[in-house]
Amino acid sequence: MQSSSLRLPSLMCRNLDIRKMRFSMMARKVGVVAAGHAKFGKRLDATMRELSAEAYKPIYDAGITQDMIDATVLSYAASQFSGQGAGSALIADYLGLHEKPHLRVESACTTGTASLRAAWGMVSAGLYDTMLVLGVEQMNRVSSAKATEYMSQAGDMRWEYPYGISFPAFYALMASRYMAEYDLPHEVLSKISVKSHHYGAQNPYAHLPRTVTVEEAHNSVPITRPLNLYDCSLISDGAAAIVIAAEEKAKEFTDEPMWIKGIGAGASSMMIQDRESLTSIPGAKSAAKAAYDMAGVGPEDIDMAQVHDCFTIAELIAYEDLGFAEPGKGRELIENKEVYHDGSIPVNCDGGLKSKGHPLGATGVSMVYEIYSQMRGEAREPSRQIDDVQIGLAHNVGQSGQFVNVFILERGW
Amino acid sequence: MLGRADNSLTSSFLSGVGKTMAATDEVYLGYTTDEATTPFLRDFLDALAEGTLMKSVCTECGREYLPPREHCQDDLSKCELEEFEEREAKLYSYTIVDFAPETLSSKAPYVVGIGEFPSGLRLTAHITNLMSVPEIGMDMKLAFDEVDERLVTYKWLV
Ligand SMILES: [Zn+2]
Repeated sequence: MQSSSLRLPSLMCRNLDIRKMRFSMMARKVGVVAAGHAKFGKRLDATMRELSAEAYKPIYDAGITQDMIDATVLSYAASQFSGQGAGSALIADYLGLHEKPHLRVESACTTGTASLRAAWGMVSAGLYDTMLVLGVEQMNRVSSAKATEYMSQAGDMRWEYPYGISFPAFYALMASRYMAEYDLPHEVLSKISVKSHHYGAQNPYAHLPRTVTVEEAHNSVPITRPLNLYDCSLISDGAAAIVIAAEEKAKEFTDEPMWIKGIGAGASSMMIQDRESLTSIPGAKSAAKAAYDMAGVGPEDIDMAQVHDCFTIAELIAYEDLGFAEPGKGRELIENKEVYHDGSIPVNCDGGLKSKGHPLGATGVSMVYEIYSQMRGEAREPSRQIDDVQIGLAHNVGQSGQFVNVFILERGW
Repeated sequence: MLGRADNSLTSSFLSGVGKTMAATDEVYLGYTTDEATTPFLRDFLDALAEGTLMKSVCTECGREYLPPREHCQDDLSKCELEEFEEREAKLYSYTIVDFAPETLSSKAPYVVGIGEFPSGLRLTAHITNLMSVPEIGMDMKLAFDEVDERLVTYKWLV
């Protein structure tokens, strides 16, 4: 970043904002031009390969055949689930992407957006014109306890994992601290779950498409107290795919591209005990700032957001990390229903990870899919279609914040 | 302050805590991973077996770490193990794990707590003698559990 701007002749730099120049002169504009989604759920009828085909098929049907794709990123988060190593080769072959260069990017639950970040770099730099980004995960072929164990291995294997700190436990540690510092009752978290299920019930791709009441959510069985069953996202199988293209090429595919306007990425300390605060995710705040800066917009410009609600507390913290609410005030957004589809900042009106499901590698791509379809007015049900989406934000968090990607996406028509 | 009895707790929680106290299972600090034990970690574990908790101190800048690490995060210099003598801490955060990863299923529910010492150093371990739901900020003491003559781990007591 620094070195590339240093290479520019000093005369050119004198009266120009270096940051703006970096993106306007050195990167091609890139847009999403097609998207596909597999049904999320307990998909014992499929494995990684079949789910991948299900996500690519709508894109193929829209006319983007394999020969039109220059290269791919085909990713899943955890090889423990499938036992398949280097699986992008298998997926590429299964999808008929013969002799197209492919690779796998892995970063826990942000695998999908990390794949998009990598692909964006290659397209914007001019290495390729058109790329397929596909995220997939098959998690239900092992027991929930086994899946929990595989995910726990994303903690520090020497100092955290031996204490049985599962993935929900990391977020429960954040929840305990948040609830104590801000005197937050658990019922507020339950209200986030109620919203997620309200919208998941209207999403044909959702894993658990049914509604829940505050009482049911609040009184459900404990998982990692203070979090209970309805605070936790689902162990899901699924896949999602998008095609991105450079501006010149995008016009060949669609008159309605969605531009990638801002990309921010961040990281937080490996051990959760080492963070100065547990009431926010440091990497998410820095990722959001970077994305807003690159896009030249602020939280007030966002028409809809897809946030990483692997747990209800994660969604609440996201409201604050993304600047939609002041620290400690996120609860007002859910209590006043501002995060519903007709509120001031709609969040996760597809059911979120909570109700739609959280197939690790597919999640980030699915977030971008949802923004693309909302922008095009294709949310199907008027009761969840967000009005006139110009700018959408996707916020994808990996592990307990060790990886974060934030994308700002703009309607191109 | 933490109450000694809390009627809202289920009996299964209390019996579960008892199970956690009987720390004789196969899952132990530094022993569950495939990561090879290094000479540095071996020294730490040997000291722990003698009932001594070691922190690490950077030989260049003096930064202290708990749990210890062999290399300083700031300058990547080597750290040396030194006895860590603080025993009193405040509970920074906790969770009661009811649904556990497969390896620890038989021990659930168990309680994980992050304690903060007056020096500011923190340590993550099980809290093993709770009689009621933990409270952020409550006082805890660091203690040791002897699993066998070669294997000791640290834990929190309230
Ligand atoms: Zn140092």
